Order: sequence, then C-alpha cells, then structure tokens
Amino acid sequence: MCPFARAAVETACTEPGAAALVATTTCDQMRRAAEFGEAYGTLPVFLMHVPSSWESAGAHKYYRGELTRLGRFLRDLGGREPSKDRLAGVMEKMDAARRALLDARPGMTSSQFAVAVAAYYRGGVLPLGLPDRGGEVLNSVPLAVVGSPFFEGQAEVFGLIERQGGRVALDATTSGEGSWPRPFNRRRLREDPFDELADAYFGSIPDAFRRPNSLLYQWLRRELQTRGIRGIIFRRYVWCDTWHAEAQRMKEWCGLPMLILEPEDDARLRARSISRIEAFMEVLR
Amino acid sequence: MKDSPARITLEEWDARYAELRAAGLREPWYGGPLRRHVDEGGDYRLLRLRYDNSAAALRLWNFLLTEEDRLREARRQGKKIVGAMKDLGTVPVMAYSLPNVTAFYPDGAWWIPCVMELGSKDLEIADSLGIDESFCPVRAMLGAFLTEAHFPVPDLLTCNVGATCDDFSAIAQRLNGLGFPILWWETPHRRKPARASGGGTGEDAVALPGGLIAPREQMDFVRSELERVRGAIEELAGGGLDDAALRDGIRVANRMRRVLAELRQLAYSAPVCPIPALEMLIAEMLALHFCSDREEAIRVLEELLEEARRRVREGVGPLREDAVRVFWVNPVADLRAMNILEDCGGRVCGTEYLFSHTLDQIPEDVPPMQALARTALADPMVGPCSDRADRICRDIQLFGAEAVLVSRIPGASHCAVEGALIHEMVRERLGLPVQEIEVPPLCDAVAPTIRTRIEALIETVKARRKP
Repeated sequence: MCPFARAAVETACTEPGAAALVATTTCDQMRRAAEFGEAYGTLPVFLMHVPSSWESAGAHKYYRGELTRLGRFLRDLGGREPSKDRLAGVMEKMDAARRALLDARPGMTSSQFAVAVAAYYRGGVLPLGLPDRGGEVLNSVPLAVVGSPFFEGQAEVFGLIERQGGRVALDATTSGEGSWPRPFNRRRLREDPFDELADAYFGSIPDAFRRPNSLLYQWLRRELQTRGIRGIIFRRYVWCDTWHAEAQRMKEWCGLPMLILEPEDDARLRARSISRIEAFMEVLR
Repeated sequence: MKDSPARITLEEWDARYAELRAAGLREPWYGGPLRRHVDEGGDYRLLRLRYDNSAAALRLWNFLLTEEDRLREARRQGKKIVGAMKDLGTVPVMAYSLPNVTAFYPDGAWWIPCVMELGSKDLEIADSLGIDESFCPVRAMLGAFLTEAHFPVPDLLTCNVGATCDDFSAIAQRLNGLGFPILWWETPHRRKPARASGGGTGEDAVALPGGLIAPREQMDFVRSELERVRGAIEELAGGGLDDAALRDGIRVANRMRRVLAELRQLAYSAPVCPIPALEMLIAEMLALHFCSDREEAIRVLEELLEEARRRVREGVGPLREDAVRVFWVNPVADLRAMNILEDCGGRVCGTEYLFSHTLDQIPEDVPPMQALARTALADPMVGPCSDRADRICRDIQLFGAEAVLVSRIPGASHCAVEGALIHEMVRERLGLPVQEIEVPPLCDAVAPTIRTRIEALIETVKARRKP
C-alpha cells in the first residue's frame, strides 16, 4: 500500500481527539485506505469524491455538491453551518496565509518554508517570524520538487538539498503549492463565498490525477520559468500510478535535469537516496 | 468421431478439426483450424493451452482471435470506430445502437503479451514510455496504439475515469500526452444514500443492477456524463442516437446477457462441469464489447450454450465429477492459469472478473440513458470493496463454491488492497478456504508456485469434504 495513504489513515485513526476521518478519491490508494479506516477504525469516515475530469459543467457541479455533503457531515458531527461572512472570513485568512508564505519565500531556506507550509496545512496558522518580503538566499541552485506528497518528518530532504548548495524554489508536490487554489476573487468572495471556494479549488488545482492533466503542465511551465528552476527532483511512492506515469513525460517535456526518487515508507532518507541527491546536486552546481 | 467432451491441446485440435470437417462442420467466414493463428498471427501461447474440443468452442476461439480483421473490415466499409476505454460494458452498448458505428476495447490489448508470448514488443514500448512493469499489463495498450499492429486507431476514444482504476487512468493519460485525443467521462465513487437525520428526509436513492443502490444525484451525474459521450458518438456518426435506438441497443445487449447468464448458471452449478474455465472466461469477456460484431457474438454464445445444455442433459463434461468447486476472483493476464486450476483437479464455479455489472440486465423500465448510467455506477471497481465482497459471497453460495481463488493482477494498484479485504471478508462470513496467486502475462516461470498454491487449496477442500 502507498506509504502516504497508510500513514494518513493510521495517523487520523490514532490521533487523540480526532472526530472523523475525511479522505478524498483522488487516488485509488487513498480511496481504499479510507475503506480500511472505516472497516477497522472507530472514527466516522467521510469519503469525498473529487472528480478527475474537470472540463464539464457537470463535474464542477458535482464537486460543489460534494462540498455541501461534507458540510452536512461536519454539521452532523456537531459543527455549525457558517454564515456567509464567517466563511468568507476564513477563506480570506487562508488566502492571506498563502500570500504571506509566497511573499516570504525568497528569504527563507527550503526547510523553513517546508515547516511553514506544514503549519499552514494544520489550520492556516503561520510560524512567527516569517521574513519580510524581499529577502533572498543567494548562490544556491533553484530546484523544483514535484510529485507525491510529503508526510510529516520527511522534510529532511530539504535540508540535504540546502547542504548540497541547492534550494527548493518550487514545491510542486501534492503537499505543497501544487494543491493551493488560485487567489480568491475579492468581489466573488463577498457575493458568494461558497461558489468562489469551489471554483478556486476545483477550477485551478494542477495535479497529476486530473483528466486531462494539462493544467499541471501549464502551471509548471509558468512556475519553472518564473522561478528560474534549474533541476527537478521528482518523487513518487510505490503504487502512486498517477505521478509515476508522469515521470518520463515530464523529463522529456521540461528539458531540465531530473532526478526520480521513490521515497521509502519511513521518514528518514536512506543512504541510496542521499547519494543520489548529492550526485544530482554535484552535477547542477 | 469421438464426441465425448475433453480438454485437448492445439496439436490434438489439428486432428479434431479434420474430424469435424469430415463430419460436415460448417463454419462462418472467420472459421478455420486454430493452428493458423499461431502460423499466421504469431499467437504462440495457443501452443501451450488446453481447449474444449467442441465445435462451439472452436467457433468461440476463432471469433475471439479474428477481432482485428473485423475492425479493419469495419474501417474499410466506412464505419466509424469507437475505442471505449475502462467503462467495461456501457459505451459499446451506445455505439452499437447506430448502424454505422462499431466499438471495441483497447483495454483488451492486455492479453496481447500473453497470446503472442511477448512477441509483439508492446510491453517494451510501454517501458520506453516510462510505463514499466509496476503498472497493470494493460500498459500493452500503449504499444498497440503506437504500432497499429493489433487494431486500427479509433475515430473516437473515450475513457471512463474517476473512481475507476488509477493504472488505467494514468496509462490513458500517457496515451493522451502522445497525441491521442480522449473524451474523458467521470464515474464517482459509488456510495450509499444518506439516511435521514435531524428530522430531514433521507437522500433519494435509485436501484442499480446487481442489487445495489446509489443516490439519485450520482446517477444523474453519470447520466450527464454519458450524454457527453452520446453527443460525441452522434457527431462522429453524423446522425442522432435517439432514445428509441438506445432502447433497441439495450434490448440486444440484454439478450446476450441472458444467454451468458444461462451459460454461467450451467457451467458453474451443474454436477459435471460442461464447459471448461478458459472458454467460460472468453465467453464472459464477449459480453463486454461483442468482439466487434454484436449479432455474431450472440450467435457464438448461443452455440456454446446449446453445447452446454446438451452436455448437462447427458451428464458429461471435460472434467471429473469430483473436481473441487472454486470461485475465481479477478481476470488473469495469462490464460494458462485457467488451465492450471483444472490440471490440479479444480473447476471454476463462479467468477468475479471485475466486470460483474456486465453480467446483469440493463434496466429496460427506465429511460435508456438513465439505465446506462445505473449500469455504469454498478461497476464493482467504482464502489467500496465491501460491495464487491458481498456479491462474491452471494455468488459463492449461489454456485456452491467450496473455495476461493483471488488472482492478483501484477502492478494493479487496486488489487493489493482489494485482495486482502475480499480474502478476509469471505473467510469470515463463509468460512471457506481462500488462496491468493499472482498471474503475470506469461506465468511459465511462476507456474510451479501457482500450481503449488492451487494444489494446497484443492487438498484443503478435499480434506474438508471427508466425513
């Protein structure tokens, strides 16, 4: 089983105080892992279908319907339906957090940024002391990390890249910027925050599971150029078909040096991966 | 001429074919000795298989192995060709409802490496595209598209995605990236309708084939997705695909499914197995896509059914009466695996080849697009494993299976998880022995292991039979 899917479900099911497990259908492994969680765990499980296809109005509508269903599930757990203003407020807060992260990024090391992104995912709270806009880490090779998500404790790779004279200028993994929605539209946020929420996520997330996956390549083309990326570290877990199938195409497409890593199922980097990253950085420096 | 049922080799089929011809066998245009598929088509796996010795089985094999000829003839006649990917049984029903459209499953390329004993190089081509052996053998489809050696490039390619299969979706996306346009249509993960809560009413539900239910909202969504497919087929065909034509198409598909249902009932429940596992596997596959000739596919199955009826009446069959009754889960990438079970003293008594929704009747009492949406939603891969396990348990009891064989598909990411869940659920609910095997496209290298595992299963059942 995919180590990320397993870790996600195991963590949720053993987390003290967790009220439920919410999983999505963006990959078979997570879909089946949620079933395991339901069959063998004690938490209520909500499996949200996120359509792979995105070109039809029906798929957009279905996604909105799934968000509504999720809302009902949370309400049944004891939550309260937010007012329009409250929803818009939370969205604004998250949007601001993402903006602050991106603004601060040039002055942060890769590891600091990874820690800040993890904090953002834990509820939109950013670590104190984010650097002001405009700082820059000099003389390091800008890299993109693309592919399967990181789970907590796997940030060691960022430190290793830094020690080898590189920096992750673009985290395009599923746990990084690749899963962020586009910036919210202020007017629509006031008028119909729910609609804007659905549209900003479903209409713009450039992930490998989407069919067609052209959004991924459009987004990457733009970001690789903007950030002056000189090499790509591509991650894929065992059983991660959607990312795995992109590896070679991306290599042919991007024209950049690319290192394909298959992360192990524990947090620590193994010696083989370390050597490969070191060798890759040596070539790029 | 000996007419007693038997499993025979290709060599024995040479003599048997001469016998049948001498006795006045009349064949359709695609008929002929099986050996020609080896000599002319390079289908070397046929040399290693054991076949049923009936004329009906001969026709079945010849029909299967000449699909490429039919597709090329359809193209020559100016028919439009739809390549339906992954939906397994829905889009072809739509396509065949128009007289100038034919459909096939490029998915079927997954048997090419087996049938041609890797002679086709399709897997090497997939490797070269970064789709290596960690993917399901359906990756052979990439090679088939690029070489055009096995089927013509379709005029329209559709692919069912969503809660279907990541392996397939990823491979189809790779194909798309190589410049093959694809119409993607979505099927969501099938879920149970929400129950009433907080004084409200429960979610509106609809019945699906196979005794399943789903929220009406899901059916409406799938119907809207299929409407897009309908639009694309209409545009391709240059004519309307109206509800009346679809109703007729559904009726014909159901006719075939009825024939198959009776055949399965006889083959899997008769005291003496009338038709061996390999021919039954192919018969079940025909229901998916009609092997590129809907009417002929029905005739082929009807003849096989007639043979099965005759054998059941006479109490004869190619296997021993005491063969251990095994329920088979998942299709095999190597056809030889079906032979191995019978060589070990087993027989297939029930199957779940991941397309059980194509065995069920498509509803005829609801509007046709709704009926097709219900069928698509009943796909076992779309729903939770527990639904699939429920059906497996039900069918095990229906056919009286004594053991279960879960055949994993190498590289298929769903199998690793599903197999374990099904294994556990079947053992818990029915107390039957369950064995898992993994069957690669050519299983010769692992055949001793497969055989040992199957023998262990057979011996376990035999030991349980003793009073």
